[in-house]
Amino acid sequence: MSAEGIRSRQFSCLRKILERAGPVCHPDFEPSAEILNFISNDCKVLVIGAGGLGCELLKNLGLMGFRDIHVIDMDTIDLSNLNRQFLFRRKDIGKPKAEVAAEFINKRISGCNVKPHFCKIQDFDEDFYRQFSIVICGLDSIIARRWINAMLVSLLVYEEDILDQTSLIPLIDGGTEGFKGNARIILPGMTACIECTLDLFPPQVTYPLCTIASTPRLPEHCIEYVKLLQWPKENPFECSIDGDDPSHIGWIYEKSLERAACFSIRGVTYRLVQGVVKNIIPAVASTNAVIAATCVTEAFKLASSCCSTLNNYMVFNNVDGVYTYTYEAEKKDDCFVCSPFFRVKYMDLPHDGMKLNEFIEFLSGLQYQMKNPGIVAAFAERNRTLYMSGVPSIEEMTRDNLKKSLKELNIINGTKLIVTDVTRPTPLEIVIRFSEINN
Amino acid sequence: MDSNSPKSPEQSEKTKKYDRQLRLWGDHGQFALETAHVCLINATGLGTEILKSIILPGIGSFTVIDGGKVREDDISVNFFLDENDIGKSKAEAVTRFLLELNPDVHGDFIDESLQRIIENNPSFFNSFNVVVGTALSELEIILLSSKLWELKVPLLICRSYGFIGMARLQIKEHTIVESHPDNQNTSYRLLNPFPELKTYLESFDLDSLELKDLAHVPFVVILYKYLQEYRKLFGRIPKTYKEKETLRDLIRKGMKKDENGLPSAEENFEEAIKAVNYVLTSDEVPKEIVKLLTDDNCVNLTTKSTSFWIMANALKYFVEKEGYLPVRGVLPDMTAETKHYVKLQQIYRSQALRDSESVYRRVQQLLQQLNQSADSISEADVKEFCKFSHDLRIVRSSCISHEYLEKPFNSSYIVSNLDDPDSSMEYYVILRSIERFYSEYKEYPGNLDDHVEPDIVKLKACVSKLLSEIGSNSIIKDDLIHEFCRYGGVELHSVSSFLGGCIAQEVIKLLTHQFIPINNTIIYNAVSSDIVTFCL
Amino acid sequence: MIQLFKLKKNGETATKGTTKRSSAAQLRITKDINELNLPKTCTTKFDDPDDLLNFKITIAPDEGFYRGGKFTFSFRVGPNYPHEPPKVKCETPVYHPNIDLEGNVCLNILREDWKPVLTINSIVYGLQYLFLEPNPEDPLNKEAAEVLQSNKRIFEQNVQKAMRGGYVGSVYFDRCLK
Repeated sequence: MSAEGIRSRQFSCLRKILERAGPVCHPDFEPSAEILNFISNDCKVLVIGAGGLGCELLKNLGLMGFRDIHVIDMDTIDLSNLNRQFLFRRKDIGKPKAEVAAEFINKRISGCNVKPHFCKIQDFDEDFYRQFSIVICGLDSIIARRWINAMLVSLLVYEEDILDQTSLIPLIDGGTEGFKGNARIILPGMTACIECTLDLFPPQVTYPLCTIASTPRLPEHCIEYVKLLQWPKENPFECSIDGDDPSHIGWIYEKSLERAACFSIRGVTYRLVQGVVKNIIPAVASTNAVIAATCVTEAFKLASSCCSTLNNYMVFNNVDGVYTYTYEAEKKDDCFVCSPFFRVKYMDLPHDGMKLNEFIEFLSGLQYQMKNPGIVAAFAERNRTLYMSGVPSIEEMTRDNLKKSLKELNIINGTKLIVTDVTRPTPLEIVIRFSEINN
Repeated sequence: MDSNSPKSPEQSEKTKKYDRQLRLWGDHGQFALETAHVCLINATGLGTEILKSIILPGIGSFTVIDGGKVREDDISVNFFLDENDIGKSKAEAVTRFLLELNPDVHGDFIDESLQRIIENNPSFFNSFNVVVGTALSELEIILLSSKLWELKVPLLICRSYGFIGMARLQIKEHTIVESHPDNQNTSYRLLNPFPELKTYLESFDLDSLELKDLAHVPFVVILYKYLQEYRKLFGRIPKTYKEKETLRDLIRKGMKKDENGLPSAEENFEEAIKAVNYVLTSDEVPKEIVKLLTDDNCVNLTTKSTSFWIMANALKYFVEKEGYLPVRGVLPDMTAETKHYVKLQQIYRSQALRDSESVYRRVQQLLQQLNQSADSISEADVKEFCKFSHDLRIVRSSCISHEYLEKPFNSSYIVSNLDDPDSSMEYYVILRSIERFYSEYKEYPGNLDDHVEPDIVKLKACVSKLLSEIGSNSIIKDDLIHEFCRYGGVELHSVSSFLGGCIAQEVIKLLTHQFIPINNTIIYNAVSSDIVTFCL
Repeated sequence: MIQLFKLKKNGETATKGTTKRSSAAQLRITKDINELNLPKTCTTKFDDPDDLLNFKITIAPDEGFYRGGKFTFSFRVGPNYPHEPPKVKCETPVYHPNIDLEGNVCLNILREDWKPVLTINSIVYGLQYLFLEPNPEDPLNKEAAEVLQSNKRIFEQNVQKAMRGGYVGSVYFDRCLK
């Protein structure tokens, strides 16, 4: 039997779902063999994170018919991963997660082609991200979530303020903590994005510095004292704290015990010290399975249109029975990333001989009516502050720019400027286009 | 490890490996897992997903029962099979891959059908702590349910069917000491402080304190003082909203004024104001616990009573004598100077110790009366039991085969749920009907493409029959029946994986006696991504 | 509902005209800085006007115990701003109950009470308030707090001594008068 023959039978279960019509299917759903072909051959999926969620995501995608999958993870495998990251074994400790995970999936699920990237997401540019049909995140970092979110929004193309949907890459995001988890779908530019709902991420537990310093009551207060105040002062290892270095944790443990003893506080344990210093979030296999499964079910729905997708946020908890709750997270009108105010706009200027102060007058004029705009040029290498009237020290240092022409300030066709002003809820990003260039 | 590193408690490899979960269920929960034996019937995609999430955290051992051979269809939904397994024993094949997940875990398999095992070896299931069955036929469910009900072995039956999942727990009785509620109940005993607490609370003279000292008095001291004042004024404790507001106003008036005559916003006073409502009710014995203490198993101990009920009986004796549950002995953080907080904590802790000693003495008497050995319940057990006495739980489910065989005892519950169009009970009825369909026709409705239409008619007949047995006049929409026939009995891996995670966690709850299991049936709908629970 | 299958099956993806966006943290800090509205007692200093993530703010209180002094705070804004607050340290050694000798500052909005809606401006106002109303109840520098509580006059003298440059007890303070 040919390899193709085996594969076509392999997904007989998916075929029933994708090739049979039914009265309660989504009205846009047109069952056909084309859909599975699309999922297997054309729908390129990026998985970010090859940890607890990532391992599950890759397995689920592979068994739901997806074959062209990339995975990015910058971490290597640690012993404490093995209680849930089921694609890794003892012998893999120290190896890159993305590589080991991809190799495992490719071996177990024939026809599946997972391509690993052992690096940071920031190492790739627009062209890399543009190739995917769906991005799924299984991350524990808020910074990385915000970054990929902003990246996908920036790939959107608008024609006359109408979104060109072929430029849209849905983002599916999962997160877990102990027996709690959440999953959500973001259609960049259309539904609430990560930045719209930044408040949903719980802030890290912190204690008032004065409590830590003068009125400690909990063992955590004693550990934070050693971590925040005593370590920088005594600098025992001449470096900053490395939570994975047992000698560092050992030092903090002993000093925390001493401090706790001074105040008759009980309960400093080695496990607690590790937890506080490394900000360890408890994790189990079962919750990861639930959340990753939700993410992939939604990816399958998106790719096939076989039924309506989650709208748009689900929370899960199984401490007491099993509980789910879904609701629609709302898009923020003044979101820094996806608000229409804030879409990158083009600004046509007559010629590059225009002086910066003329440009500011233009921004203050009838069309934009700004009060005292701050202007930063976003060059590829770094940002450059052109002028800010409101901050005396910057004003002084950038005053000379006012008399310079935009050309002299290295502003060329396509340079992007960030303009902020009290009259606008969000900064404006504009791309300059000159009608005329003076040579 | 670096030989120069300072001595720190030796962490075993195992503690490191399981660190992220030990923070949830502790070393004792882990011990319970590692000494347990779980049985899976049928190595479906769902079945192996369940096992995966209990093997990874380190279950003691598992046994897979499946008499089938691996088919091509199986491979596309089951991660623990590959092409090379086609035609081999399914039980054997999945066991091999599952065992690779965790070298600490033992696993074996039986390449035989469930029916034969029950016939040939009736006491077979005795050795398991939990049995999980997936994709069982109606007959198998009935056989297994009656057998395990009799053996008192917990049973979870579950099914992954298209976009729908179902799981049901059958357990005669499950008792939980550590239910891990989101908000742990702390009884401060301010309405009726025990002597040491009373002496301490009254040792403060708030009026004579300077602002800086006043700002570091624990809120319980403040609340107690104004509660006493309120009692003096009105002769009772505040009950209504208005009365509580009056108490809050008293506290507000007690705040020191700053130079401008404005009350200085002291956090401890704010905490006292916020705690009024809670503190006034937190000393009561919660309704759930009153019910538990009057349960037959608590009141009428026998020589077969479990530790839980013996301790519950002793607790009941304590509550009748003292009027309160034992003090928990754990004090939440509050604004306070270290020495006050530590002292207060110590006062509660010593009382907790005295209380649990008193319960322990009663437990010893009971053990003697019941002819059980004195060390069958340790002092530490009693201490834990008392510590969590506000949040004890029991779960008792019905017996599945009773529902299947007789005129269902819970039919009125099913009927009333069916009358509610939003209840999802119709999914339960259809899944039950599909079990019937399978028993009758030996395949799932819509298994073959050209059978979908005729099978809709047949499945409808099964549904109608079941509805009439239940005594429901409800009509289940043809469209929904059609949708189930469209699925043709397929398992979708991501649906199985979701359900597998949920059920694995239920198994862990049953084994550790921590957290609260489902009671007793959940329906998962992957189209709407929600879960409903029925108490059948 | 978005129909990915129809949109992407031909592998056509709009690519034209997209420009790399600045990070949300970068944009937000640009806005925060441009809209700084500081009291006249405060000045900013940017070593590099192009780097808006690292800067200094100097507060010269015109009333209270610290009148006549000049105190410089360094601000470091991280990539997770405004989900996380900036890191603020006092670079001028100061005899103050809520600032320790390493420059750690005990101000609620710098840690436990930080919210993404707060701005650099809110922090500067918070810092300024610390100089007007040092709070001895929740001290970082316990000795200073005790003196403030027991004898305001001695506290005032100590503050003056420190600002003029010299020892308070065994601790030496650099001169920081205007």
